[in-house]
Amino acid sequence: MLIRRIARRRALLLAGAVLLLGACASTAPAPAPREAGPAPKAAPRPAAYESDDFVITFAQPGDTPESLAQRYLGAADKVWMIEDYTGLRAFTPGQEVVIPRRSWNLAGVTPGGYQIVPILTYHNLAEQAKGRLVLAASSFREQMNYLKTNGYRVVSLADFVEFTRLNRQLPQRAVVLTFDDGYHSFKDFAYPVLKELGFTATLFIYTDWVGAGRAALSWNDLRELAAAGFDIQAHTKTHADLRRAQGETEAQYARRMQAELEQPQEQFVKNLGHRSQILAYPYGRWEEGLLPKVKEYGYIAAFSVRRQGNASFVRPLAAHRSQIYSEMTLDDFVKNLNVFEEENLR
Amino acid sequence: MISPARGLLAAAVIGLAVGGCASLRGTSGGAGTPPAPIARDPLAARHRQQAEALDRDGQLRRAAEEWKIVLAITPNDAKAREALGALQARIDQAVTGRLDEGRKALARGVQVEARRKFLSALALDPSNRAAFDALQNSTREVEFIAYTVRAGDTLSSLAQRYYGDRSRSEVIWETNQLPPNPKLQPGTTLKIPEIPGVPFVHPDAPRRSAPVVAAVPTPDMPRPAPGVPAPGASAPATPPGAAAPKEEYTPEVNPLLAEAREAIDRSDFGDALTSVDKYLAGKPGDRDGLALKKQALYGQARSQMDAKQYNESIQSLTQLTRLQPDYEDAGALLKQARARNIEMHYTQGVRFYREEKLKEAIAEWRLVLEMDPNHANARRNIDQAEKLLKGLEQRMKKGTGGNSQ
Repeated sequence: MLIRRIARRRALLLAGAVLLLGACASTAPAPAPREAGPAPKAAPRPAAYESDDFVITFAQPGDTPESLAQRYLGAADKVWMIEDYTGLRAFTPGQEVVIPRRSWNLAGVTPGGYQIVPILTYHNLAEQAKGRLVLAASSFREQMNYLKTNGYRVVSLADFVEFTRLNRQLPQRAVVLTFDDGYHSFKDFAYPVLKELGFTATLFIYTDWVGAGRAALSWNDLRELAAAGFDIQAHTKTHADLRRAQGETEAQYARRMQAELEQPQEQFVKNLGHRSQILAYPYGRWEEGLLPKVKEYGYIAAFSVRRQGNASFVRPLAAHRSQIYSEMTLDDFVKNLNVFEEENLR
Repeated sequence: MISPARGLLAAAVIGLAVGGCASLRGTSGGAGTPPAPIARDPLAARHRQQAEALDRDGQLRRAAEEWKIVLAITPNDAKAREALGALQARIDQAVTGRLDEGRKALARGVQVEARRKFLSALALDPSNRAAFDALQNSTREVEFIAYTVRAGDTLSSLAQRYYGDRSRSEVIWETNQLPPNPKLQPGTTLKIPEIPGVPFVHPDAPRRSAPVVAAVPTPDMPRPAPGVPAPGASAPATPPGAAAPKEEYTPEVNPLLAEAREAIDRSDFGDALTSVDKYLAGKPGDRDGLALKKQALYGQARSQMDAKQYNESIQSLTQLTRLQPDYEDAGALLKQARARNIEMHYTQGVRFYREEKLKEAIAEWRLVLEMDPNHANARRNIDQAEKLLKGLEQRMKKGTGGNSQ
């Protein structure tokens, strides 16, 4: 909207300023016959102006958003802060660059609307697609490449949870990847692609399935994946619908929830050394009455499979994910990647 | 809105840049060295002007950021510090006001308005925990259409019709807590909710191409970056990196816009929206496109109102008020449509009740309560109908020897 137009204007103006600077730089060496001696020595100007809030610097030849993030924010992976704030992905030498040092929009809400974060859900992968939930490895690679080439930033589910607690700003084009159940095919087909592209992901495993045959990941596999930077979280014990069944007494239901929600925790502690804090509801199903129980067993966020993105102010125990099915075309896939809801909030 | 003063501002900034490089000459160490920064004062002056321009434009939060940038460049600028302090106080006051209005709306049970107030408080102060908590914990999302199932409907066909995307059937499925692979019974009511980030397609105008992808900007089109200040008014929208402003990026008459205008003229608002959405898909946020879209939504809402399609009218008006809350009498119209819609469902409930269709009657009144939690009659009627129903069921049980299904 207005902001976008302004962003473009600003870029334009900067380009104009740079051109002018360039122009006078080229005139600088030519004249001045009166100065026969060595170049005048002046007090060196700082390369940047800095405060706790902002760094204002000027791009030098070869500078990229990454190099500036490394130099001024101490980490190349904070590059999104520069790109999101300036709206630019490359700089002309001499161009002014304003770098925010802190979060400037924790909730992702602007007068033009608010950020939404898509969380994608995958299940099984194979050479060839089979049924809805076994995705062809080639489709998966195509989708991940799409994310990379279109400027999406894959963030961890933990970072997303912090976003829903108003503790962390996310990149404007943040996306989260999740894999349900704990199929061994993750290691064979997803892991190499994710590693190559530098993407992280969360695996939601149901503990009865772990180590249950060749199609399942073992605890050993999961430890390896955790060591490689992947996040492992709970998907209950048996993958049963967690809603109270018809005719189930209070006591029966409490016992069942204890098994589904607490027993995985014991397995997590024993095998991975930590409890799980994030839950994926089996079949994506939940109801209001379930939420206190989920909380009671130590989960701070839980996910359905309602196909929509998440605003920062989504209820963390009722957040949404979008399942990616094997029959989806790339266009269908892209429909799940909206990152902004326009709404006039002035 | 952008004031003409901005044009002057842009010129001034360019002037400053030139001034800046005049003074650069002395400091750059000769050929091959990187360009030196612009001198401190002109740079600060540039940002000061941007702060003032943003403030005039009502973009208070971004104006405050610009003042902070000024202070990063010239930390001892007492005037800038004072200006930032004063602006911050204004922001705090506005946030407090919006929070207060939000809480009052919540107390009145007007969820939609409360949500908007809390959201607009966050837009001013995105780290405001009170607004955030209220949105997260106290505000329900209630915008939905109550749809009566017709023969032949499937969840996928409804998702296609309302969202332009069959796979969104899951959202309808989840909202209505349906069993797996449900068979929809004609005559039952389904809630079709809004989905943030997905344009609601009007049933009368099946969209040929969903504009969903449009929300995703291409790499050469920057996202709305909250921190990017607003210089020059006269400069047309140009992709970054383009050397000189050129008018050709904003052609005079876009065929899609022309189509939309014609459709509005012949009161074919569905068609108009299809065209204008297509146009906006390529140019998100375009002012002409948005103006036409608002016009079409308004016209559509009015004609739906006349046709007693209150749900649809509410939907159009909700979309419209999200784009511009004070568009014509859209606010009043929306209230009217809601009231009539509630009345319609309430009466429908009474009709069912008279026909002894108790379950159907209860469903209608529940819907009324969802739209207006303070509807005392609906609540009382539900209680009564449920009592009756219970009595009936018990009698049936006795009569059939305990076969309760």
